[in-house]
Amino acid sequence: MAEQKTPNDPLDPTQWYEVVSGDTLSKIAKKFYGDPDLYPQIFEANRDQLNDPNKIQVGQKLRIP
Amino acid sequence: MLNRSVAFVGVFILVLAAAVGGCGGQKAPAEAAIASAETAFAAVQAEAVKYLPDQAKGVADAIADAKAALGKGDYQAALTAAQALPGKISELSTAMAAKKTELTATWTSLSESMPKVVDVIQSRIGILSKSKALPAGLDAAKFDQAKSGLASLTSAWTEATTAFGAGNLTEAVAKASSAKSLAVTVMNLLNMQVPAALQ
Repeated sequence: MAEQKTPNDPLDPTQWYEVVSGDTLSKIAKKFYGDPDLYPQIFEANRDQLNDPNKIQVGQKLRIP
Repeated sequence: MLNRSVAFVGVFILVLAAAVGGCGGQKAPAEAAIASAETAFAAVQAEAVKYLPDQAKGVADAIADAKAALGKGDYQAALTAAQALPGKISELSTAMAAKKTELTATWTSLSESMPKVVDVIQSRIGILSKSKALPAGLDAAKFDQAKSGLASLTSAWTEATTAFGAGNLTEAVAKASSAKSLAVTVMNLLNMQVPAALQ
């Protein structure tokens, strides 16, 4: 379950995940944290590209704090 | 017969005097060369001992050998040894500059990346600590290992920055490299992607 990473900066340790079909923030939180209720952590870390936690797009690259 | 013996002794004394005079004539140049080498070495010694201790010891030993030969009255050996010293000191200075450049580059890279790495790991451990269950691929034992690894990593990084602040670049890079290895271990335990620069 290695997280996807943007390749632009070899020094940057930011963890990224690319949204796939069927994903929700809860599913992603379950995947990375084991707990779907922790989805607000991901939402808050991506407020620059998300306005609504229920609206994510396939192919979107989300920071996983 | 007597005249031939006297002549022989005379020649012997002349040869001996020439030999003694020749050796004695090398004392002052040997002393000057050693003194000059000691001055040149003193100018780089403090840094050389920090960056290249073995090579610095080699030069110090070579100076000591030259001085020992001088002390024994072997002026030729002392001069020969002293004449080799400027080359050794020059090599040391060049190698030291290269080592310093290398260490500075390593420190610059690590000091840019490590604080971010520590933050990212701390954040992830903080979130996982609030989780009702751990994610697939991470059990309680691995999570405990990761937490103690983070403590060691933070400590190693603090020591690295302290050493750098004290002007000890060699120790700073050694501690930072240790912190880097710990970071890689912890990120792997947590199934996080390790930045290319840390691999």
